[in-house]
Amino acid sequence: MVKSTFVPTEALLFFNRADAATIDAFAAQIIPSEEGSPGAREAGVVYYIDRALAGFMRDLQPLYRRGLEAISDLAVSVFGKEFSMLYDFEQRSLVAGLDARSQSQPEDFAGQFYRVVREHTVQGFFGDPAYGGNRDVVGWKLVGFPGAQWGYSREQMQPGVDARSIPILTIGDLYSRIGANRT
Amino acid sequence: MTEKFDVIIVGLGSAGGILAEQLTKAGARVLGLDKGSDYSEEDFAIKQDELRYYQRGAIVSGVTVDPVTWRADENSTARVLPWSAGALGSDEPLYGMPSIGIGGGTLHWGCAAYRFREAEFRMKSAISERFGVDKLPEGSTVEDWPIGYADLEPYYEKVEWEQGYSGRAGNVKGEFAPGTNPFDPPRNRDYPMPPVPQGPGDIPWVAATERLGMHPFRQPLALNSTEYKGRAACVNCGFCHGYPCHVGAKSSTHVTSVPAAKLTGNLDLRTHSRVLRVNRTPDGKRVVGVTYVDGADVVHDVEAPTVILTAYALENVRLMLVSGIRGNGQVGANFMTHNFGWFASILPEATNPFLGTFNASSAVDDFTSELVPDNDLGVLWGSPVISVTGDLQPIEAYHLMNPGVKKFGLEFKHWMRDNYTHMHRMYSQTTNFPYKRHYVDLDPNITDRWGVPAIRITHEWEDHDANSVELFGDIKRRIAQEMGAKETWMDSPRPPYHLSAHDVGVHRMGYDPAASVTDPFGAVHEVDGLYAVGGGSFVSYGGYNPNQTIQALAYLAADRLLDRFGARAG
Repeated sequence: MVKSTFVPTEALLFFNRADAATIDAFAAQIIPSEEGSPGAREAGVVYYIDRALAGFMRDLQPLYRRGLEAISDLAVSVFGKEFSMLYDFEQRSLVAGLDARSQSQPEDFAGQFYRVVREHTVQGFFGDPAYGGNRDVVGWKLVGFPGAQWGYSREQMQPGVDARSIPILTIGDLYSRIGANRT
Repeated sequence: MTEKFDVIIVGLGSAGGILAEQLTKAGARVLGLDKGSDYSEEDFAIKQDELRYYQRGAIVSGVTVDPVTWRADENSTARVLPWSAGALGSDEPLYGMPSIGIGGGTLHWGCAAYRFREAEFRMKSAISERFGVDKLPEGSTVEDWPIGYADLEPYYEKVEWEQGYSGRAGNVKGEFAPGTNPFDPPRNRDYPMPPVPQGPGDIPWVAATERLGMHPFRQPLALNSTEYKGRAACVNCGFCHGYPCHVGAKSSTHVTSVPAAKLTGNLDLRTHSRVLRVNRTPDGKRVVGVTYVDGADVVHDVEAPTVILTAYALENVRLMLVSGIRGNGQVGANFMTHNFGWFASILPEATNPFLGTFNASSAVDDFTSELVPDNDLGVLWGSPVISVTGDLQPIEAYHLMNPGVKKFGLEFKHWMRDNYTHMHRMYSQTTNFPYKRHYVDLDPNITDRWGVPAIRITHEWEDHDANSVELFGDIKRRIAQEMGAKETWMDSPRPPYHLSAHDVGVHRMGYDPAASVTDPFGAVHEVDGLYAVGGGSFVSYGGYNPNQTIQALAYLAADRLLDRFGARAG
């Protein structure tokens, strides 16, 4: 029931502070945080999306600007406040509505924008931490993915191996631990 | 002064790499032109990055540089692949053209290495004999191939031993070892390497199919299970399908044939060199060379009496069409592509689907090709049913997840938490008949940045495709139930994609210039000295992965060309 309290603690490269608060709250509805189980917010998904939009996804900047307006319009028209200022259950109901619209009305812009943000939220949650999200590899810990491994032994490929027993590695770990030994 | 060579090869991928090796070893001076990069080992040293390779498609051609358009039928206006990662950056970059660079599609392929069965080469006759020729789908242009399995068998063997394939054959000179494929076509020699380690998710699948009376066998793969020809064994990293290999274990012409061609000193390899057109004599009857643009946008004319197009089926067609080579309207006709019929299960035991390669698993041929069971759906040709156990990273798992589960909120989060490590997949590439209404041509509206028209696909899934997915979906469902699956779901029988790097048929082989584009060796009927080699030559298309047959056809074409040079590889 707690209102969003997003305050940037790192540089933003594309979003302004209000945009970032909106996307942070929106992503947190797609992959929510729980006690002892981090979600998109703790993973830093908003930083992943912000950096991607400043670089690889630069062509999507106009789409995000338009989409942020659409979310703002929706939140204000339904609840009278910006999305990031709404209660959790209010945000949840808006996202549920967008999810339904995205399926029943494929041409509806707000619904399609929801799908794009959802995709990028998943990318930021499960992509390598090098991209600015998946901090402390919370996404990989959640599902039991060991991350960027050089390879797996025959023993690890046997049935009954608990995936969460394999120490998680990132691309950065590979560069520092394995890459240095190669040359 | 115009540079002259013995042979120009356009595209050093799966087929082009093999041709480059065979011809340079025989002493031919070959110019190899490729629009991609010649990656170094260091480029792929650390590639365990799902965002970079699988989601952003770092080594596949993007639709912004290499646009491809699609429409369902002639009454629609084609759009740049609407299912690809184009406009919104949120879909599947790998339902597009193959990876680009020296090695081509063999850089990022999943290494599935199947010979076509004997009956695949006479699909029309086999269907006519069993069901009656009138049962073929309306408008189908399927024919028998002008060559048979026995013609290709020595070339299949050559692919397996030269390029490095692993597996355990069934029918070696009529002898069947236990646990191998009893439906295997006959062969002279087993694979040079045993199968790679099996993913744990495959073990319940094998047990279930055996209990159901089927005959599971380990899939042959173009992947080293042991050190082979100086290349390392696979380390089971689980970033294989859609990724380059970091240890050189994957059979790619990037690490097999092209380095061998370079060693001869006879290969002049030019990367970032994009061929714009094929040039002919004024009467159009003989090839003269090609025009290409280099990485600095400088245009060059080069000459050779032999020009080989191995730029992928669709790019071969595009180059012929922009050069005015139409083959009596046959160039671009008979487009065929696979419908994968993805089926997923949640199993009671952990599958750890991130382990090992995509196909470190088994398949059954009990219902394949002419062995298709009697059915009420009008399905005339069967497919292998394939278990998939590896290469599943979390973002791709999200793309694949049960459509009945919400993709937001705690339901989504908990589903991923509880099910990711228990996911198992199956697929069966369904037979895709050729039809007059399925073809590729030049898009009238879209060009690339060099002004060359985009290739346009006109294709829609037919009833036979959808019914095949349904029929094989029932078989997969039975297997899943036998495995004790807690949840199952299947992709749409009419999926959104119409392009997948499994695209073939568009420069059909045959002897009649009015009904085909090339002869079985890839020689283009219309233009002396011009060859088009690859999946474009396929006449029909069952459920097997195309690449081993593409490579066998490349060795066959090389033999013909070597005869012509009067020289043989030593």
